[in-house]
Amino acid sequence: MNLAIHPLIVLLFFPGGLFLLASGLVFQWADRKLVARFQNRVGPRFFQPLADVLKLLAKEEIIPQGAHRGLFIALPIIALAAALTAALYVPMFGVQPFFSFQGDLIVTIYLLSALTISLGLAGANSVDRFSLVGATRTLTQLFSYEAPFLLAMIGPALAAQTWQISKINAFVGETTWFIVAQPIGFLVALVGLMGKLELPPFDAPEAETEIVAGALTEYSGRGFALFRLSKDIELVIGLTLVAAFYLGGIANPLEFLLKTGGLLLVMALLQTAFARLRIDQTVGMWWRVGALLGLVQILAILAGIYIRQWWL
Amino acid sequence: MSFEPLGENRFIVPIGPQHPALKEPGHFEFVVDGEIVTGASVRLGYVHRGIEKGAEDRTWIQNLYLMERICGICSHIHATAFVQGVEKLAGVEAPPRARAIREVFAELERIHSHMLWLGVAAHEGGFDALFMYSWRDREVVMDMLEMLSGNRVHYSANLIGGVKYDLNPEMMDKIRDGLNYLEERLAHYLDVVNHDETFIGRTRGIGTMTREQAQLLGAVGPTARASNFAFDVRVDAPYAAYAEFPVEMVVAQEGDLHARFVVRILETMESIRVLRRIFDNLPESELVTRVPRRIPAGETISRVEAPRGELFYFIASSGGEKPERVKVRTPSLCNWGTVITLAVGHKLADMPMILAGIDPCFSCNDRLVMVKRNHQDPQVWTWADLRNYGIEYYR
Repeated sequence: MNLAIHPLIVLLFFPGGLFLLASGLVFQWADRKLVARFQNRVGPRFFQPLADVLKLLAKEEIIPQGAHRGLFIALPIIALAAALTAALYVPMFGVQPFFSFQGDLIVTIYLLSALTISLGLAGANSVDRFSLVGATRTLTQLFSYEAPFLLAMIGPALAAQTWQISKINAFVGETTWFIVAQPIGFLVALVGLMGKLELPPFDAPEAETEIVAGALTEYSGRGFALFRLSKDIELVIGLTLVAAFYLGGIANPLEFLLKTGGLLLVMALLQTAFARLRIDQTVGMWWRVGALLGLVQILAILAGIYIRQWWL
Repeated sequence: MSFEPLGENRFIVPIGPQHPALKEPGHFEFVVDGEIVTGASVRLGYVHRGIEKGAEDRTWIQNLYLMERICGICSHIHATAFVQGVEKLAGVEAPPRARAIREVFAELERIHSHMLWLGVAAHEGGFDALFMYSWRDREVVMDMLEMLSGNRVHYSANLIGGVKYDLNPEMMDKIRDGLNYLEERLAHYLDVVNHDETFIGRTRGIGTMTREQAQLLGAVGPTARASNFAFDVRVDAPYAAYAEFPVEMVVAQEGDLHARFVVRILETMESIRVLRRIFDNLPESELVTRVPRRIPAGETISRVEAPRGELFYFIASSGGEKPERVKVRTPSLCNWGTVITLAVGHKLADMPMILAGIDPCFSCNDRLVMVKRNHQDPQVWTWADLRNYGIEYYR
C-alpha cells in the first residue's frame, strides 16, 4: 500500500510520530496482557501503559550525584530518536516505508543497536552498583545476540538479492513464506528479537531479583518514560521486520495486524515457558547455538542460489 | 564524575534492606569480581520486635497468641512448640484427638509454606509462570485452613492442653477433595522442576552443600535433608500425633538447589498422604484437658519440625502466671551460615536463588545482640544509653 502524504505529517503523526508511539503502547499492553493470561493472572487494563507513561512524564527526574548531567538527560532522547528513525525504513502498518534506499536494512539494525548501546551507556553513567552490573550485562548481551540476529536478517536479503527492506518485503510477498524456506533463520530472528528487547528468559540485564532494574535503576520520571517508550517502539519494529521477512511480507494494515499479532502471541508463550537464563548461559547459547545455526542457514541459502544459477 | 574505590578496592553489590528480591528486610553484601561472588556477609536485625522479652510480661495464655505472631507463615508450629513445652511443665498431656488435630494443622501449614516457597524461589530464578501457578494452587490449602479455623494465616488452633477446633466428616471430605487436586498439581510441578531445561540450568549443581558441610554449619530442615543429612524432628523425636501417624523422611543426595526443590515438593506430597491417614483414623476423645493457671516451676525444652526445619523452644517457669524466660531458636537462624558459605564462587545471578533456597524467614530470627563498645557495664544499659547507642549507630 502506497500513500502520498506530506512528509511532515509522516514524521509527526502517521505512520511515524504519534501513531507509532500509540502503537508501541498498544503492543506493550498486548504483550503484558498475553503474558499475564498465560500466567493465570488478570493483567493490566488497556490504558495502563499510557497511564504509566503519563505518570512518569509528570514526575520529577532525579539525576544521581556523580552522573554526567548532559549525558544522563540526552541518552533517553537519543534512544527514542533512534527507535523512531528506524521505523521510517520499515513497512510499518503495511504502508510502504517512507524513506528507502539500498542498504537501509543495515541502517535499521544499526539504529536498533544504538538504542541498546544508549541503554548500556545510561547504566554506566548512573554510577550505581546495580546500574553498572546491568549495563555490563546489557552490552554483553548485545554482543551475543547481535551477530546471530544480523545473520537471520541477512538470510532473506541474500535470497531477495537486495539490501532494501521494501524490496525484500515485496520479493517475499511473491514467493513462498520464508518461514518454510528458512525455518532456522526465523527461529533465530524471533529469539534474537526477544534478546534484543530483554524479554524473559533473556532478562538477565534487568533481573529485578538481583540488580533491581539493571541499567535503568537510577532513572525516574521522563528519562525512564522515554526509555520505556523506545523499547515499546523497538518491539513494534522488530515484530514488523520479522513478519515482513519471514511471514510472507506485509502489504496492508490487516496483514500487519494478523502477522505481528501472531508473532506476539508466540513470543508471549516463549516468555512464559522458561526460567531466566544467567548472562553466561545467554552468551553461551547464542554463540554456541544461535550463531552456528545462523551461519548454517546462510551457507544453505548461498548454496541454493549458486545451484539455481548453475542450473539455469 | 568519580568512581571512588569501595572498601579495599572491592565492588560490593548490596542486597537489602530494601530490595525487590527480599520480602522482608535483611542486608547482604556480596563482593563481586565481574559476575563471580568472592565474599558475602549478612546483617540482620531490622525487624527486632522484642518478643522474648515481651513474653515475660504476659500470662501463659496471652503468650500463646504472642508466639503465634513470631512468624506469619508457620504460626501454628510456633504455638505448638510453646504449648507442648508448657504442657510438659504442667505435667498434662493433650487428648489424642487434639494431638491429631494439631498434626493436621501442622501438615496443612507445611503444604502452604512449601508451596509459597516454591513460588518465591521460582520467582527469584525468573520463572514467574511457576510462581503464579503455585500461588494460585496454594489458595486451595489456604481455603482449607480458613474453613477449619476461620483464619487464613493465624489459625489459633492451639490451646494449652488441647485445640480449639474440631474436624467433622464434611470438612474432612472437602479437604480430601482439595488434597487430591493438590497432589495432582504437585506431581506436575515435580515434573517441571525435574525436566524443564532452563530451570535445571539454574538449579542443578548450584549451591551444592555436602553432608559434612551441612553438619558443620548446623543446617536444619529441608536444607539439610537435601544434603543427605537425615534429621527430622517428626521422625526422630515424635511429638503431637506423629507417633501414631508417622511421616516418611524425605532425603536427597545431591545437596544442590535442585535437590532442595525436590525434597520440599516430595515432603508436601508426604504431608498429603499423612493427612489422608489421619482423616481415616481420627481418634475419638475430648479436645481439651484442664491445665492449672499457674504452671509449676521448672525448665523444659520443646522441639518441633517447622516447615523450615527444627524449631527449638526453651521455657522456664518460676511457678507463676507468667513465664520466667522463653527462648526461641528458629530454623532460619541455623541456616544462614550455609548461605554465606555457599555464596562464594557462584555467580551474582545465583545469589537470589541460593538465598531463597533455605526458605529464609527474617523477622523470626532477629535478636538483640549487645556488643561491648566503650561501655562500662555491658549488662546494664539505661534508656539514655540505648538511645545514644542508636543515634551513634545510625549516624
